[in-house]
Amino acid sequence: MPVVTTALALIIFVAGVIAGAMGSLLGLAGGVFLVPFLNLGLNFSFPVAAAISLTTVIATSSSVSAVRSREHVINLRLGMLLEVATAGGSLLGGITAQLIEPAHLQKLFGLTMAAIAATMMTRLNRRNVILDPSVDPGSLGGRYVEQESGGEVRYRVKRLPLAMIASFVAGNVSSLLGIGGGVIKVPVLNAWCGVPLRVAAATSAFMIGVTATPGAIIYYGRGQLIPALAAAAVLGVQLGSWRALQLAPKVPAKWLKLLMAIVLGIVAILMFVRPR
Amino acid sequence: MSTKHLERVISIVLRTGVVTSSVCLGVGLALSLIGAGQSSQLLLNVGVIVLLATPVVRVFVSIAEYISERDWGFVMLTAVVLVELAASAVAALMFNRKL
Repeated sequence: MPVVTTALALIIFVAGVIAGAMGSLLGLAGGVFLVPFLNLGLNFSFPVAAAISLTTVIATSSSVSAVRSREHVINLRLGMLLEVATAGGSLLGGITAQLIEPAHLQKLFGLTMAAIAATMMTRLNRRNVILDPSVDPGSLGGRYVEQESGGEVRYRVKRLPLAMIASFVAGNVSSLLGIGGGVIKVPVLNAWCGVPLRVAAATSAFMIGVTATPGAIIYYGRGQLIPALAAAAVLGVQLGSWRALQLAPKVPAKWLKLLMAIVLGIVAILMFVRPR
Repeated sequence: MSTKHLERVISIVLRTGVVTSSVCLGVGLALSLIGAGQSSQLLLNVGVIVLLATPVVRVFVSIAEYISERDWGFVMLTAVVLVELAASAVAALMFNRKL
């Protein structure tokens, strides 16, 4: 277990600021950045890194959703429905983590993210959601006022079973790898299920609190969570995501997609080169 | 609209949880860095527990809200989520015992 020093706490705080800022722009909660940094950069064991990451993921989810739910961007009904799948996946992930070789899972995860990154890149200039005021949102769809155009966006949720499967898988890898799982949910909801990117990101961030909690409870109960380092990371992430929230409406959706594709590609590579 | 009410309640729950846990973690971390052992550990652990409990409380509140709206379908769905969270805690305890 790493010894808590002021310098270490400061390094983790700064890493948290960066992860939090990037995460809240992308609806990713920042775990995808923090886990590789703690694990590869600071040489923490994987469970210790994952435990710290999961606590920041929960904190980000709570603070981002506290703001987003007032802006009516979160699709609550869709989120609550998908939570059934994601919490189930998280529960099973926590259990199967004890049985499956982690190296296999990391490679599978890397492949999945590379595939999603490629998909995002091919859809950069395509609007997944058409501005059509006559669309009937149905019981799960919704509407929100887009800040870029000032127009009201209405959308219908398509391919719900796919969204459920993606949420289940996201829950699974969340427990295993210490991330929120937004990295899977956001692209799937946006690219295939008809959910606008900002709504997909906000709804995913909302669900992530529930996704990350089972894994965090397990690590905490086992004594693998170092509260002082988790505190440094959580405070850093809070500062970073709070700053980014003020910038988010000004960043064009195309840039967000590009940034996300790049991040996914890097993490995919890291998953393969990670020494076991 | 009832959705707006739920949005407001959720926002309040999440904000309260985040602020409470952040204050505990911040003060706890500061105390532990200047070498105040026991009280810092207590504060840090309270901060972590409040943080982990916040999403669970949010699910509870959602169930209550859907009950008051008599939206039984979503009462069921959110109850399943709560059961899954509880099952995770049970699984954690079982794994702990085995180790």
